[in-house]
Amino acid sequence: MIPIAYNLRSLAVRRTTTLASVLGIGLVVFVLAGALMLSAGIKQTLGRSGKSDIAIVLRKGSDAEMASSIESPTLGLILSAPGVKKDASGSPLGIGELLIVATMDKIGVDGVSNVQIRGVPEQVGRFRKGLQIVDGRAAQPGTDEVIIGQRLRGRFKGLDLGQSFDLRKNRPAKVVGVFAYEGSSHESEIWADIDTVRQAFGRAGLFSSVRVQLSSPSQFDAFEAVIEGDKALGLDALREDRYYEKQSEGTSIFVTGLGVVIAVIFSIGAMIGAMITMYASIASRSREIGTLRALGFSRPAIMISFLLEALALALSGGLLGIALSLCLGTVRFSMMNFASWSEIVFSFSPTPGILLSALVFAGLMGLFGGLFPALRATRISPLSAMRD
Amino acid sequence: MNSSPQASPSGSDRGAASDIAEHARPTTAESIISLRGVRKTYFRGKEPIHVLQDLDLEVPVGGYEALMGPSGSGKSTLLNLIAGLDRPSAGSLLVAGADLGAMSDSQLARWRANTIGFIFQAYNLMPVLTAVENVELPLLLTKLSASERKRRAQTALRIVGLEDRMHHYPRQLSGGQEQRVAIARAIVNDPQVLVADEPTGDLDRQSADEILTLLERMNRELHKTIIMVTHDPAAAERAHITRRLNKGQLI
Repeated sequence: MIPIAYNLRSLAVRRTTTLASVLGIGLVVFVLAGALMLSAGIKQTLGRSGKSDIAIVLRKGSDAEMASSIESPTLGLILSAPGVKKDASGSPLGIGELLIVATMDKIGVDGVSNVQIRGVPEQVGRFRKGLQIVDGRAAQPGTDEVIIGQRLRGRFKGLDLGQSFDLRKNRPAKVVGVFAYEGSSHESEIWADIDTVRQAFGRAGLFSSVRVQLSSPSQFDAFEAVIEGDKALGLDALREDRYYEKQSEGTSIFVTGLGVVIAVIFSIGAMIGAMITMYASIASRSREIGTLRALGFSRPAIMISFLLEALALALSGGLLGIALSLCLGTVRFSMMNFASWSEIVFSFSPTPGILLSALVFAGLMGLFGGLFPALRATRISPLSAMRD
Repeated sequence: MNSSPQASPSGSDRGAASDIAEHARPTTAESIISLRGVRKTYFRGKEPIHVLQDLDLEVPVGGYEALMGPSGSGKSTLLNLIAGLDRPSAGSLLVAGADLGAMSDSQLARWRANTIGFIFQAYNLMPVLTAVENVELPLLLTKLSASERKRRAQTALRIVGLEDRMHHYPRQLSGGQEQRVAIARAIVNDPQVLVADEPTGDLDRQSADEILTLLERMNRELHKTIIMVTHDPAAAERAHITRRLNKGQLI
């Protein structure tokens, strides 16, 4: 085997062209890793919103809470279904909520975007145990006070502690608290008293969804059988985690697909760059390669040596791209969730699998980019060692 | 100084040796190089160019021969054939018992690694490797351990008087020193034959004399058979025999 030090030092000697190739490959890996990290962030954010021991009930045929409406009296029937957990006082653990989308002015950029407003009952904290007020206080029931998710804070006009915004025209609401909720998509929502939301948006007597806490995840089938078995109710029951998984699918596939397409297009350019670097490097080293052949190194040994050189070049770019993409971990990114048509703030979520995939992608770029130059190197005759 | 790297055949070398042995033919007891009616023809388009014509040559074991002749006389082509870098168009070419005309590219590569030490006019050192790493290169084709390879490379560098330059890169050495490193690389595998292509062509007179003295020592003390192409009469004088080529024929 030709020592790898020979290849690594040769790359270092041709530092300008090497650096250009490393940057090119690094950019591609950055784009790919960024897209995959964003996709993972979307899945993670929406995934955190759902739990397997919570069932969500929607109007039959509704894909999302936004499109669903359930009359108030139905709440009692749902809560009395088998499998619903009861608290110490014997009350079933369940909650009916109303979800509305409102258009709000963004800060820092011209334009508006949709924000979800969730009307919640007074006992919301009893059901949603992960809810934490991180700034300010909880909203007073029956008032126009609201609390906002921490990811919304400062992104829209009026959405910060102590500020006000129009819930509806001439219907101001005041932000009295900022909440965290286990990093879920609820942190991109405004929560207000359900009666306030019903009045403001003319949805008297309606819920969008009902959530119930199951005694255990295995109770879902029994619960579902009763809820969906009563055709007169016209309801669908889903596990909450599965519901959010479906919610994230469209956006996640879109982001992954877009990222992969861009990365593949960029990778062609990066591979051509690596190929040019390797061709130039081999052309200027034909005497060295001829000498190696004269000394007895076989064509496969030459091939492996130059493929390893291309691989080292590409992996350097890969590591650079990964390092850059890890900086995205601190960036929050708001985009439209295609399921709810409202803005949700995601973060880039680096996982070992994504970083490894990005590195493998870089390695493949190196191998494909280096293949033809390495083949050319094997064709250099040992007689090249003797020529001036 | 009479120490030698003495690279004994490793397992892979023995495998290569048995492979090469399939092509071994008896040579005369005294000859290590034997050419019979060797021709080399190149084609420029469809036009044949006869570079070597019906060449006969016997070089004894331990011989030191210089090849001289004008440009285009075929001396480099002859050297390439003897070194197993090229194959004859016709005739018989036996070197160290191997019929080179019948060997494949990969067989020739293994044979060269075991049998031939190369000394080039332009030294042909790897610029990014240190002196000791350059000398170690041929040993990477053996199954020797890393420490043994290092030890032998250091011994070879001591033989050529460069023990204090082992970790210098070629750019940090003079031309004469670079050629010494190349000679150390040529002998580190203990080959039977050294081929030298204008070994003093790029050197000043004093460095050239030092290199020629070193080659004499390789021949006299390590019993290497040396074939040297040169334009330098002073270099040719050091050889036992000077052969002259003209228009592809020995004269």
